[in-house]
Amino acid sequence: MQASGFQEIVLAVEHLTVYQETYMAVQDVSFVLPAGTDTAIVGPNGAGKTTLVQAVLGILPHQGGTVTLLGKPLSRRGHLALQVRQQVAYLPQSFLFDRRIPMTVAELVGLGWDQLELQLPWIDNRRRRFAVEGALYRVGATHLLEQFISGLSGGEMKRVLLAYCLVRPRRLLILDEALSGLDVQGESDFYELLYELKREEGWTILQISHDLDMVRRHCDRVLCLNRGLLCQGEPEVALSPENLFAAYGSAFVRYRHHH
Amino acid sequence: MYGELTHIVELFQFPFMQRALLGGIMTGCTGGLLGSFTILRQLSFFSDALGHSALLGISLGLLFGINPSLILLPFAIVFALGVTYLLERTRLWTDALLNIIYSASLAIAIIILSFVGHYKGGLTNLLFGDILAVGEMDLIISGILLLITTIFIGLTVRIQMLMTLCEPLAIARGVPVTIHRTVFIVLLSLVVGVSIKAIGVLLVSAFIVIPACTARLLSRRFFSYIPLSAGIGASSAVVGMVCSAAFNLPSGPSIVAIQLGFFLTATLRGLFTAQSPT
Repeated sequence: MQASGFQEIVLAVEHLTVYQETYMAVQDVSFVLPAGTDTAIVGPNGAGKTTLVQAVLGILPHQGGTVTLLGKPLSRRGHLALQVRQQVAYLPQSFLFDRRIPMTVAELVGLGWDQLELQLPWIDNRRRRFAVEGALYRVGATHLLEQFISGLSGGEMKRVLLAYCLVRPRRLLILDEALSGLDVQGESDFYELLYELKREEGWTILQISHDLDMVRRHCDRVLCLNRGLLCQGEPEVALSPENLFAAYGSAFVRYRHHH
Repeated sequence: MYGELTHIVELFQFPFMQRALLGGIMTGCTGGLLGSFTILRQLSFFSDALGHSALLGISLGLLFGINPSLILLPFAIVFALGVTYLLERTRLWTDALLNIIYSASLAIAIIILSFVGHYKGGLTNLLFGDILAVGEMDLIISGILLLITTIFIGLTVRIQMLMTLCEPLAIARGVPVTIHRTVFIVLLSLVVGVSIKAIGVLLVSAFIVIPACTARLLSRRFFSYIPLSAGIGASSAVVGMVCSAAFNLPSGPSIVAIQLGFFLTATLRGLFTAQSPT
């Protein structure tokens, strides 16, 4: 699994510390993501997983340490060069949005294509349309093009969001529990699609997950987080009973054992 | 019937009527444009509170002998930014806090007005609007505001869409959401401030909310929903102004009644299409 020699570092996090008001939610976390790898963040509820991811993206400011994305530094207040932003895609936790918002699938996926700077709305309409159709084709959702987002099922929404991510070439994909709300079949379909796209696109993935079996099967590396980083490494090592005990406490290990 | 028609045609000869019509078209457009985002971002009650509180600005102007038109716009901006700041800082519920702010402003405004004595046009016109009060200066301000709003929404429409859908997604893409939110609130408060003369402080938020809701019922495609909202805003303002002048009704309530008419029509249409098998 480990490539020999030089491997590009997509994301480097060093001694990252994030406060939520006065509470230290993430404490002195350091890790790197080499290009093309899939890393999972695991840990109990309230361990700071979402906070860590949002600080890496600059959605939350950080108080200590450094974050470097594709060789460019992220400022304390979350500012990052726009060219780098374009290459990072993010799907937030369970993506709850107001279903009354009037929008078609084509309009939503199109939002992923634009640079989001000041521009006339009709500029590049044809190129955008072409990219949107291509992205929906890749996720097998061409038939949803003119549907309204209010009518999509959970599984269809995930596909559409993946299309939003790949409507432009990206380097890093950050998923915050992308699968919550899907049934078992929907989940395995989603992963099949995700890893197919990862192989084709060469995506580096950082994902928060509660599904340790999935992490064992698919991920190259695991970060066990409980405010601080308790362990990191390949899944067999990082998800050993001792490390799980340290991260989750005794109840969880017993549950896993008897399950 | 014929007599009434000539009456309406005659009315259009008056400069005040032409001003009212032009003003109605422009503020209706601006209100519809901003309203389309306002209702989706659940700021409807915010615009309502802003309208009610504007009476405080007017009464302060009267107390210090300043033209209310001059004080209304700066008051609206300062007020909107102040309230936004409070909402972000406090732990109270948004609607409760807005309720406190607007009832307090109304109460203080009415007390101040009782010291000022008789205001030409009277309290009813402040509360429900007066088309006669729309002057040339108001038209110029309305026009500038419509221009700025159109340019702003036009150049940032996809940014606004993403922010409306999911703010973290927008931040992750590098959108400076605080700046965009502030510009939007300032524009919203300006359009409320400008529209108050014709519509009155009590009903001004209907200008923002009702046409946008009607447009939402008629369209679920974002890029047709926004112009539709602006169009419905403008046309209901025009029809309302004409009715107001023709039947000598207060202008604000007439416009809102027409807006309601459009809204109900759209609701009925929705009911029928929902029941049809296609």
